[in-house]
Amino acid sequence: MAEVEFKGKKFVVDEDGFLEDFNTYTEEWVEFCMKEEGIETLTEEHWNVINILQDYYKKNGIAPMVRVLSKLTGFKLKHIYELFPSGPGKGACKMAGLPKPTGCV
Amino acid sequence: MAFVSSGYNPATPMENRITDIGPRHFEEFYPPVIKANKGKWLYHEIIEPGVLVHVAESGDEIYTIRCGGARLMSGTLIREICDIADKHCDGYLRFTTRNNIEFMVDSKDKVEALKADLKDRKFAGGSFKFPIGGTGAGISNIVHTQGWIHCHTPATDASGTVKATMDEVFTDFQDMRLPAKLRIAMACCLNMCGAVHCSDIAILGYHRKPPMIDHEYLDKQCEIPLAIASCPTAAIKPAKHELPDGTKVNSLAINNERCMYCGNCYTMCPSLPISDTEGDGIVLMVGGKISNRINPPKFSKVVVAFIENEMPRWPTMTQVIRRMVEAYASDARKYERVGDWAERIGWERFFEKCEIEFTHHLIDDFRDHAYYTWRQTTQFKF
Repeated sequence: MAEVEFKGKKFVVDEDGFLEDFNTYTEEWVEFCMKEEGIETLTEEHWNVINILQDYYKKNGIAPMVRVLSKLTGFKLKHIYELFPSGPGKGACKMAGLPKPTGCV
Repeated sequence: MAFVSSGYNPATPMENRITDIGPRHFEEFYPPVIKANKGKWLYHEIIEPGVLVHVAESGDEIYTIRCGGARLMSGTLIREICDIADKHCDGYLRFTTRNNIEFMVDSKDKVEALKADLKDRKFAGGSFKFPIGGTGAGISNIVHTQGWIHCHTPATDASGTVKATMDEVFTDFQDMRLPAKLRIAMACCLNMCGAVHCSDIAILGYHRKPPMIDHEYLDKQCEIPLAIASCPTAAIKPAKHELPDGTKVNSLAINNERCMYCGNCYTMCPSLPISDTEGDGIVLMVGGKISNRINPPKFSKVVVAFIENEMPRWPTMTQVIRRMVEAYASDARKYERVGDWAERIGWERFFEKCEIEFTHHLIDDFRDHAYYTWRQTTQFKF
């Protein structure tokens, strides 16, 4: 596990750049991730996706399925890719501080 | 080596990005004879093991020479394959669905030169680079997986077991003496990537111990409900755990009596590692097929519950496979696949003829359906 520092905050991350612990998430983390995720400016829509992911994770202990995320945010998958070019898993979940997606991905 | 850019700009990743273009169309790579006669083939013949001829309505012929491929290949070997294709086949070649290589020539007089060239090519260690064979009622290539080369959930190795097995049955790759084709497949865990569940003989990596639980990291790395739902026997439940330093964390508890070591939970949760040097090994399955010829498709069935991992040559495993191939070759009728043969003579005879011990592990005990695999008849041979 490597440690990265950004704006005075320290984050422990794995080799794919996911936060080791959801509880260490702060808003600086999102700013830190922006660049490598290919996002120039954070809009309200980005924060909307991130907040919904976090709420869902806190409530259910898992990341929402893509269909659920679409339904909750009102964004089609295409639009989620426009917001997060690496997609809902590698992009949005990572920025929201959720654990790395597992399984046959 | 110093960094060499392909032209991609990490500062503007979406600029000049090409996407959703799909694979190249296969017609771009057709040899001319294939292109001209597509959909107009009359018949084909297997001239000898590894050599086929297809004859078209127009009278055009195409000769195919099939060679074994190790599937895992270097760029250097691919270039050598391209050199052969350039020299004999105008630059065309194809790979089969069992990862063999097929070189095609349009006249009979080109076949001998190509065969001689292929036979001459060997690796420094002595093994054939392009052994000709894999047609008809023999043993073609083994469909296999990643193993210890690249995967994180295997219980055995893929390339190693496959090399050991193909060395053992090599004569049947270059021959067509069997009653019907015999398909061998290999998968290194019971995800069964590939064709293990539907092959005449199947090699399958298997664990024998429940996963370890890394309580400290589990709640951080894993989505706990996913790990619970990944268990086919419901052996996993959520639990609080107290770490040595006194902090309480959310974690999981595994009922070892219910765990059958499938490793699904490790697939979903990195904090549940399961592989084990002594515990892991191989299960052999037999009698599957996917064709509809005579009998409908069948699943393969477990006949050897466990064989240890014996790197690097897996001698016990290859010996059992050899016994099964020989028993099948000498006993089955023409056109009978292994599963057809075993069902005709009865599985009790199959175990007798292959000299395989029948153990309680082989009796199905998974849910309602297990009942239908038991024998509800007095028809049985002593």
